[in-house]
Amino acid sequence: MITISNLTKKYGDKYALDHISFDVKKGEILGFLGPNGAGKSTTMNIITGYTAYTDGTVNVDGYDIVENPVEVKKRIGYLPEIPPLYLDMLVWDYLDFVYDLKKIKTDNRKEHIQNVIDTVKIDDVKKRKIGNLSKGYRQRVGLAGALIGNPPVLILDEPTVGLDPKQIIEMRSVIKELGKEKTIILSSHILSEISAVCNRVIIINKGKFVAEDTPSNLSAMIGTSHKMSVSVSGDREKAEEILNSFDGISNVVCVSSSAGTYNFEFDARLDEDDKKRLFFAFAEAMMPIMAQKEIETSLEDIFLELTKTREKEEGNDESNI
Amino acid sequence: MKAIFNREFNSYFTSMLGYVFLTIFLLLTGVMFYLVNIGYMTASMTGFFASVNRFALFFLPLLTMRLFSEDRKLKTDQLLITSPVSTWEIVLGKFFAAFGVLMTGVVITLIYPCVIAAHGSLPLAETINCYIGFILLCSVILAIGAFMSSLTESQIIAAAATYGALIFTVLLGSVSSYVSNETLVNILLWLSPIQRFSDFTLGIMNFEPIIYYLSLTGLFLFFTTMVFENRRLR
Repeated sequence: MITISNLTKKYGDKYALDHISFDVKKGEILGFLGPNGAGKSTTMNIITGYTAYTDGTVNVDGYDIVENPVEVKKRIGYLPEIPPLYLDMLVWDYLDFVYDLKKIKTDNRKEHIQNVIDTVKIDDVKKRKIGNLSKGYRQRVGLAGALIGNPPVLILDEPTVGLDPKQIIEMRSVIKELGKEKTIILSSHILSEISAVCNRVIIINKGKFVAEDTPSNLSAMIGTSHKMSVSVSGDREKAEEILNSFDGISNVVCVSSSAGTYNFEFDARLDEDDKKRLFFAFAEAMMPIMAQKEIETSLEDIFLELTKTREKEEGNDESNI
Repeated sequence: MKAIFNREFNSYFTSMLGYVFLTIFLLLTGVMFYLVNIGYMTASMTGFFASVNRFALFFLPLLTMRLFSEDRKLKTDQLLITSPVSTWEIVLGKFFAAFGVLMTGVVITLIYPCVIAAHGSLPLAETINCYIGFILLCSVILAIGAFMSSLTESQIIAAAATYGALIFTVLLGSVSSYVSNETLVNILLWLSPIQRFSDFTLGIMNFEPIIYYLSLTGLFLFFTTMVFENRRLR
């Protein structure tokens, strides 16, 4: 549905995007992940025809954004980072305006707008002035604007930023629902959001492509080093000695302590037998284990890990030169 | 284009701007009509328009200052540009919205020639010419204002820059009286839109100034589309 190849955007000598390539299949929800300033918004602005690019190609449903901008724009509903709302208009009037602006021809204009309003659940504010709405409602009005004309592709730039937890959950469920029939690109720097909604994740950093996979595969990719946490009651140095005596344990750090109980975190590669031995080692030392758990690698860790290694590599490259 | 025109036109009247503009416009034209036509007991409206023209320079930028700058500030230009409409449709839609508000005022001023016609003999050809000239001159000013508005995010800067450009063109006319070289004088006068208005006060339909005003309007609207296109490239 969307094919991006070697997309490059330069501001002067600086690369905002450096040869980014990816494609999005029909009906897929693609998560676009990166820290602030990674180039997410720039990429989205280019796909929607708001910003021009330096090199590469952008193709949406067979149409090139440079050669056939109107055809591409007809197929995309775009919710930018700041929803493009006219604050002096009523919600209904705004959507009515967007309907005309997008040159949509349906049999029943009112019904279409009402359907969109129902989808994003803003029926209770449809006669109110946009300027008087809360951030959450404005975001939804923005999404409604993107949905007008029922475009097959939705591009949502950080759709949940600034919303309260309840609104975030609602927004996610709306997006998931929409994803059943539409192709969606969703950007975020919140990783839990991406893993909750997306089929596939692309990570970019400083305009460069870092990784691309399903959320679960990404976890597996660097899931080899598991972290564990153990709370032990007793002498701190003795406990560290026991932990360090294990082959599979490294990087032991005491993260907190209270009333003679020490909480350690460490990288561990332990099988079942090792875990039993760990238990008895502490038992023999008369130091009861108060709590023990494995810390799963979250997308945050993966993200930090990937962007960190990437920067290291670059650093090495430069020093080699 | 219709969608953009409608929205912009309505927004003049959902905000106070449209009413403020019409109030100033009608107040000024009313006072001028009273001072010039009734005060001097003349049926000719050339004096009236000569005065109103000067004031037009000061209140027309009110209409155009927010035209593009506000969109840029509120990021609503993102909606316009990512919609399947061309740059020309955006620019013309907005320009005609401002023009429409002006025309609302102009239509109301038609009362004045009606009053003259009811109580005396109105020089019809001259008056029609003056109206055409006035509307065209105003469209040049609006186009300059639209262009300035497209250059900046700030309405104040847009208005100030428009005033600057307009005062410059007025000064061109004044400066020309100190220049002895006749070719230079002609060039200076030719460059000043407000000087060209005198061609309309003679009551003879002359196409040269009409084409001059129309092409100047078109030129500045073209510049505006260029600004739009160029901003995308950066």
